[in-house]
Amino acid sequence: MFAVFKREFQSFFRNPTGYVALALFSVLSGFTFVMQLSSAEVNISSEISTLRSFFLILIPIITMGFFAEDKKRGTEILYYTSPVSLWGVVIGKFLAALSLFGVMFINVFIHMFITGFLGGVVDIGSWGSVIVYFFLAALFISIGILASSIVNDQLLAACFTFVIILLIQLTNTISSLATAALVSLLAVSNNGASNDKLLNICTKISDAICWFDPFSKTTNFRSGIFSLTALIFCLSATFVFLFLTYRNLEKKRWTQK
Amino acid sequence: MIEINNLVKHYGDTKAVNGISFNVNKGEVLGFLGPNGAGKSTTMNIIAGYLSFTSGSVKVNGHDVLEEPELTKKSIGYLPELPPLYLDMTVIEYLTFICDLKKVPKADRKEQLARILAMVKISNVSDRLIANLSKGYKQRVGIAQALVGDPEILILDEPTVGLDPNQIIEIRKLIKSLAKNHTIIISSHILTEVQSVCDRVVIINKGKVAAVSNLKDLSANVFKNYKILITFKGNLKAVSDGLMNIPGVTNVEVKNSDGDISELEISVDSENDIRSQVFYEMVRLNCPILELKSLGSSLEDVFISITKNS
Repeated sequence: MFAVFKREFQSFFRNPTGYVALALFSVLSGFTFVMQLSSAEVNISSEISTLRSFFLILIPIITMGFFAEDKKRGTEILYYTSPVSLWGVVIGKFLAALSLFGVMFINVFIHMFITGFLGGVVDIGSWGSVIVYFFLAALFISIGILASSIVNDQLLAACFTFVIILLIQLTNTISSLATAALVSLLAVSNNGASNDKLLNICTKISDAICWFDPFSKTTNFRSGIFSLTALIFCLSATFVFLFLTYRNLEKKRWTQK
Repeated sequence: MIEINNLVKHYGDTKAVNGISFNVNKGEVLGFLGPNGAGKSTTMNIIAGYLSFTSGSVKVNGHDVLEEPELTKKSIGYLPELPPLYLDMTVIEYLTFICDLKKVPKADRKEQLARILAMVKISNVSDRLIANLSKGYKQRVGIAQALVGDPEILILDEPTVGLDPNQIIEIRKLIKSLAKNHTIIISSHILTEVQSVCDRVVIINKGKVAAVSNLKDLSANVFKNYKILITFKGNLKAVSDGLMNIPGVTNVEVKNSDGDISELEISVDSENDIRSQVFYEMVRLNCPILELKSLGSSLEDVFISITKNS
């Protein structure tokens, strides 16, 4: 596992990938922070929440090559034929990507230091946001890794990851849109009369969809209210996606030509 | 050392390997021959632990590859058809990574890598990026990768494919030197290669074993049609008729005729060597032989006849 971790992490800096991600993150976080500084209203939590929306770009860039590239170069055979477990390979790659986020996040830590130094507020809520950021990053990385293991083409893997992260970010919007559409549809079919029972069902469906939204689950962290449920949710989802990746790799032993 | 028993591998409806059985003995260099798509690579991938199989069993040193994969993988070094190289690493970084993967103890690493680099002659490029190496060197790095961890068994899938003649000779030399203390399975569809390095061959065709034999036995047993090329001075018609009367001769073909001197190709279907009979016939006809050459049986012909029949 450590061998794979080391190789993958170093490989970020042998290729443009790591530098592009690092540069992008630095520019984005730097820009947000400077904007806040210039308006003399620094809020680390809101900086981090802005950065969260860039998962959409960063995660696909970082994870797209993981298994897709191995497949193309024929190097995946190394993992199957050496005495390492495939589970170790998956975890190694996952940790490498997460560590890259750790490196990128140094930017934010510097901003926190500057804020504290200048007498700004770095409270428990800021740290809550940091924790959430990493749990969400882990979750999305695992999705990216799964995509990369399923699709053989890097670009396709990136698109796949992009769409899934986009859908997750839009969960709330999607559910409210779906509910609204359903309600109006029911209203039409009932000749304008509203049906409380059906409306109730619609709300339940909407709630069910929202339940899967990791963003709304972790909103309270920025106010310093930590919820173990939310963290366990993110962790288990991460585990599920990594496990699916592992099973998918294992499956290739049987189906691959 | 390796026992393969009734190995079957299906891909959907296609049977890539259909009941292959053979053994590889310790210290032996086994040639694995077959036309493209015969199931060579699939079988090698299975032995190396890359692919699973539908039924049958594969044992390496008595350990089943499915039940004790870590043990069997440790004793096998595998060079697939496409060498599994990370182009963004230097040779030494790459080989160190392989040491990590194969769990080579840190203390042995330096010495082992130095030995392998020297053996495959890539010490001079050890600090270069693999992406910038020539194909021959990449292939060597691939072989070096298989040697890491000192496995007893080497599986080399078409190790000389795509190399220039000089590189092919070098790689063959390397394989011969490795054969001294390794058991090697080498797949190829280039017959001269197998002839030059292997002790024994397994020929497979359409997923089945078509023949298992020592190289010598193979040519002797399977092949009894051979040709003799003769150049002589004298009457062409008389010699042709005379030669046709020798038992076993099926055809006499004029290859070349320039005045007095002619060249004939005699096709023979016999398990006996009829060259001496040819000599006495020529003496009887009073035609001096200028050259007599047995074209023998090339492995090429054996291969074609076996794969056509099966």
